[in-house]
Amino acid sequence: MKRFISPIFCIIILAVLSSCQKWKGEHTDIYSYTPPAANPVSDAAPLSCSGGSTVVPVKGTMLSGKTYTVADGCDLVINPTDTLLMQPGVTLNMGLGSSIIALGTLVSNGSKDQPNYITVAGVTKNDIPGGLLPVNDPAYAGKWKGIIGGPTCNLMVLRWTHVEYAGLTEGKATSTIAGAGTGNQFSILFANYKGSFIMEDSWLYGGVDDPIRISAGKLAIFRSTFEKNGVSGGDCINMKGGTVGTLAYNLFIGTATNGQKASNKGQATGAPQTNIVMYNNTFISGGYRQVQSGRGGSVNFEEGAAGMYYNNVAVNCKYGYRVVGSPIADIAHLTYGNNYQYADSVSVANQFYPTGYITQPQPTDFPSITSTAKYLPASYSLGSIYDGIDVVQKSAPMFLNFPLPVTRPFAQYSAIGSFNFRLKPNSPLIGKGNTAIKPLITVPMDKIYGLADATPPGADLGAYQLNGTGNLH
Amino acid sequence: MKFIHFYKKILFLLFTILSFSSALIAQTIEGRVTDAHTGETLPGATVHLTQNGTSKYTSVGLNGTYRFKKIATGPYQIRVNYVGYAASKVFEGNLSAATELRIVNIALTDASTQMSEVKVTAQANKETDRNARGLEKSAPMVMNILSSNTIQLLPDVTVGNALQRVSGVTIQRSANGEGRYAIIRGMDQRYNSTLVNGIKIPSPDPSYRFVPMDIFPSEMLERLEVIKALTPGMEGDAIGGAMNLVMKSAPYHFTLSANASAGFSSLFSNGRLFSAFNSSPNMKSPAMINGNNYAAMPADFSNRAYTSQHSLNNPLSSTAGLTIGDRFLNNKLGVIISGSYQNIYRGSNSKQLTPNAQPSAIPLPNSPQFSDAYDRAYSTQTQRLGLHNKIDYVINDRNKISLYNLYIHQNEYESRITSDTLGLGLNSTNLSKQITLANRNTLTKQNIYNGTLHGEHIISDKFRLNWDGIYSIASRHMPDRTEFAYDANKSLNALGQVTTEIDNNTKLTHHWENNRDRDLSGYANFFYTPKIAGTDVEFALGGLYRHKLRDADYITYSLTGGKSTLFSNNFAAIPFAFNSAADGIGSNNPDLQNNYNVREDDNAEYLQVKFNPFPKLQVLGGVRIENTYMTYETQSPATVTQRSGTIIYSDFLPSIHLKYALTDKQNIRASYFASISRPGFGELVPYKVSGEYYDQVGNPLLKHITADNYDLRYELFPGGSDQILIGTFYKKIYNPIEYFVVRDGGPSSQVIKPQNDAGNATNYGAEVLATKFFGLIGFSVNYTYTHSRITTNKLLYVNDPAAGSIQTLVDETRPLQGQANHVGNASILFKSVKLGLDMQAAFVYTGERLTQVSPYANLDFYQHAYNQLDFSFEKTIGKKLSFYGKINNITNAASKIYLKFPHGSLDAKQQEFLGKQDIAAQTLVQSDYYKTSFLGGLRYKL
Repeated sequence: MKRFISPIFCIIILAVLSSCQKWKGEHTDIYSYTPPAANPVSDAAPLSCSGGSTVVPVKGTMLSGKTYTVADGCDLVINPTDTLLMQPGVTLNMGLGSSIIALGTLVSNGSKDQPNYITVAGVTKNDIPGGLLPVNDPAYAGKWKGIIGGPTCNLMVLRWTHVEYAGLTEGKATSTIAGAGTGNQFSILFANYKGSFIMEDSWLYGGVDDPIRISAGKLAIFRSTFEKNGVSGGDCINMKGGTVGTLAYNLFIGTATNGQKASNKGQATGAPQTNIVMYNNTFISGGYRQVQSGRGGSVNFEEGAAGMYYNNVAVNCKYGYRVVGSPIADIAHLTYGNNYQYADSVSVANQFYPTGYITQPQPTDFPSITSTAKYLPASYSLGSIYDGIDVVQKSAPMFLNFPLPVTRPFAQYSAIGSFNFRLKPNSPLIGKGNTAIKPLITVPMDKIYGLADATPPGADLGAYQLNGTGNLH
Repeated sequence: MKFIHFYKKILFLLFTILSFSSALIAQTIEGRVTDAHTGETLPGATVHLTQNGTSKYTSVGLNGTYRFKKIATGPYQIRVNYVGYAASKVFEGNLSAATELRIVNIALTDASTQMSEVKVTAQANKETDRNARGLEKSAPMVMNILSSNTIQLLPDVTVGNALQRVSGVTIQRSANGEGRYAIIRGMDQRYNSTLVNGIKIPSPDPSYRFVPMDIFPSEMLERLEVIKALTPGMEGDAIGGAMNLVMKSAPYHFTLSANASAGFSSLFSNGRLFSAFNSSPNMKSPAMINGNNYAAMPADFSNRAYTSQHSLNNPLSSTAGLTIGDRFLNNKLGVIISGSYQNIYRGSNSKQLTPNAQPSAIPLPNSPQFSDAYDRAYSTQTQRLGLHNKIDYVINDRNKISLYNLYIHQNEYESRITSDTLGLGLNSTNLSKQITLANRNTLTKQNIYNGTLHGEHIISDKFRLNWDGIYSIASRHMPDRTEFAYDANKSLNALGQVTTEIDNNTKLTHHWENNRDRDLSGYANFFYTPKIAGTDVEFALGGLYRHKLRDADYITYSLTGGKSTLFSNNFAAIPFAFNSAADGIGSNNPDLQNNYNVREDDNAEYLQVKFNPFPKLQVLGGVRIENTYMTYETQSPATVTQRSGTIIYSDFLPSIHLKYALTDKQNIRASYFASISRPGFGELVPYKVSGEYYDQVGNPLLKHITADNYDLRYELFPGGSDQILIGTFYKKIYNPIEYFVVRDGGPSSQVIKPQNDAGNATNYGAEVLATKFFGLIGFSVNYTYTHSRITTNKLLYVNDPAAGSIQTLVDETRPLQGQANHVGNASILFKSVKLGLDMQAAFVYTGERLTQVSPYANLDFYQHAYNQLDFSFEKTIGKKLSFYGKINNITNAASKIYLKFPHGSLDAKQQEFLGKQDIAAQTLVQSDYYKTSFLGGLRYKL
């Protein structure tokens, strides 16, 4: 009974406080003039292609509150000098087999009150753990191809935007227009090392292969939520050579493989070395739909990638934070610490420092690497096998609503549903964060055409801060 | 080591030159018997000597000479008969007591060359040259010839393998070790063209214009010419050289010869069995049968090509040949029919490491990273049927026509068994490496048909005309290539036992691929031979028109086996299905760009003049204009850039050939010619096909290659078959095309793409050829030094301590692809008419050469120097029958490919995949072993 008192109390306090705010509120209604959009996109008929071509060129503004439809099999193309701005509250229904190809600028400017949707009409989610087998789950069906930022895409912003059910194979026509690959099954692809990809406060639901593939680019992904990503493989945010930026306050649940993977593979001439700062991310039950063994389940740093990862939380992920030794990550320029892990089973605990890799256990890690004689033994060398039995089910993270130990197979925890990964006030994650590190901001800062808010590292581990900052979902 | 080789050759050469001298014997008649047309000696011809009503005869020896010893004084008559040649005139003479030695050299006229006046020799103008024997010996341009007698004695049964015996030629082998393409003077196959009786033939190759030379059985040849300098009358599409296959033509009297043999390869014994299969019954894909909108179901496919796979222990190869020829209607009508059948079992064991698209900057700049270690066993059964037929009819002494038909069919059954170890970067004991098993069975059917109607007309004393009308087809069909692949992770315990197995991927692929070329062409040449200022001058004016249509289709169906059923030889239990039903629809095929049509219309016109400004100097020169119009269309969607295109270009090609006769036996030649090389259709069309190790893509932006070529050659014919040729060449090549390994789309995948090199290339070198016979034993050596250079931009990936990993461009100078600095042949021949025994040991040396260009500095693939030793013999049993044998690759020479990166510098985890290494400064990435093969049989000649 005792354990319920404090949360109930908190909720009551919160409810009272917010109600008070409402009562207290000051209401003003002052006229302000906004010029009408010069080039509004018509929602009168589906955006459709014809005459043997799959292309629907589009530019201008999609207006608040309207619903637009892309016809089946069509590629919505933003040409290199054009911009498509989606005002808050736009729903864009993608037809089966359709895609969005951004060769110019794409800004989906949703807001907390009026989020945007880029989705497929008429699909029902089932997020009950074990409710659907992956093979029957529409999340993994790849209804449409995805958003492709081509080699000339200078800016793509997804703000308070839901992207759902993408990941169908690009195919010949789409991939040649986008300058991408025929076999790609990415929900979002960005491939311009001179361009910026910004995702803040958004949601990515479902997917087939890598839900987000950054072949190269300036990158900022803040406070976003990732569910059911990748059907039988795919790293949720897969960053290749020439990617520089920050990933922070993101929540990943049930990723097929890793949540975040950084590699310098494929660095192009003129592109910088991959350098990724990751902090305050939360990974739940990652890596269980990857059928190939040894592929990772939370964070990977590989092949020449530099950067850092701090203040992250991984719960029941198949593999812990992984630094790869061959091809080796740029370990001279890679730092990490203050990372938390939790395991319900010994097989998970045995991979906190994955066997065969070169992750260096840090004194600031949780659980403490000197807590018992077995974890980790004095004879431990990087990548060797150890017995994690002593840290199984130790120091649970105290999420607001995610009972641990879990009662179902780890793989079934693939979506948030009714769970809540905010922290209880007595969580051991509180106050353990490293706040001295700095985000690596390479994208423009702007309320619309850039990153609106670069939340600095937080004192509490994971994506949710007790003070209400961090992930706002 | 290479230099030692080089010096040994020089020494041997000097030795050979010094020993050119003949002892004189009293009361002897001797001489040389040659082809009046080519100057080739004719071993085996019968020389009849009649004196005082009694006849003696002898055969011409391998060195091309005959000799009658201890002959009585007084009058004599000599004549020569030889199969395929008109009988010589009767040479009469009188031997006095004082005569110690009488030399009678006899030139025979090929009974058929009168009809098969080929383009390359048309300039030689046999009618007028007949009187000028000095010029008859050889053509006006630089070339090398293998006669049919030489070919017959070679250890080779295909033209592809025989080519490596020609000076300056190296061969590129197919996966089973058979010589497939010729590299002439360091210029790879794209720079060379293939002619049959002087007519260019289309190729069944899916991508290129060059013809696979292993498709031709060598016994059908009358001679093989490698022409290294082009005259205006020849097609200008060759930079390295043109290979002209002159087929057998009708003899002057009834001829019958037959041969049959059997053999085996020592590869297929001691547990390494030959893997055989029965071809799929589905010659056509579901889309071809039911249309492109048909959704194929798993039940539409037959897996017979996989399920019928079985092992053969040491299968027996066999060959058979039959030639019948005669002349009728008072010698006006000549007919020859020749058939050849070969059924050969060959194979190879191959190991290969595939590097990642991008190297690593750590530990060294551009450190290769290997992702796959392939271990492959190839078993290839090749069935070749060659038929050729020539009918010539002499209307009168001014008009002749002939019809030539060639049909070649080849079925190649290739079974490839692969195991692939993927590099996971794991060194733990609780997880094993990932293993992929893949079996691929491929039937490739190739056909070439060529029909040529040829006419020659003497209009007046000064005007002549010849023409050809040609229809050719070349096709290649690959029906239902079937590949089954199973990819699993196995977890091992400390004892190495498998504890769990996880199915990553089970795949079944059915693939159809077809292409067909049809050429319709016409050639015409006018000759005008006036006397100007007391000299014979020959003007030639002519041209050709060729209309070519090519169509190609290509489709792959990929089925997946689900993830639930583990494979343990339970193929039938695996539930194969399409990933999504839409994948079975033909129009969803991702390779639509590989379905294309090409039309090419070429025309060329030339004007050439040949004259002797003074008796010892022959000048041949002129210009040629080649116009090319090529258009293609693929089935790619309308939104695909490059889906169709038209390419038009014209070239102006001057040339001049000088030949100066120092003495009767010595020539000096100098020549210049401009020539081109057209890119292949598969290179221009933006296609994408999967290769053995990399996918290959086309490039419509390719420009055609042009070149300026200079040649200088000294020739000495001391007598008999003996000869010394010393030559040098220089080539400037503009827009050379090379295959680069380039990145494709994503960071992980790389493909091979033909591209024009930014810089021009130069290629120069020297050739030496010497042949010397000492009675029964002959030695023949040739050596070619080639030096080509090109400078291109390469990527360098380095880890800078301050700036981090960066990729920069550096200039790198390297040889042209395929070019070996040192190429040589040496053979020892033994020929005894008395014993009825011929023997030959032939050795080929090909120096290190560049096989594949990488976009990264210092990561080009080099094939290590390659030596091969072959042996062959023929022994007569009675008058008409002989027994022969051929042994190939006696030393089991391996083809090995290296990266010039010290393998010890690779990181520890990479070392696990390296396998056995033998050169410290390099990394062995591919090795192919073919083992020794044997063939023995009987030949019957009437």
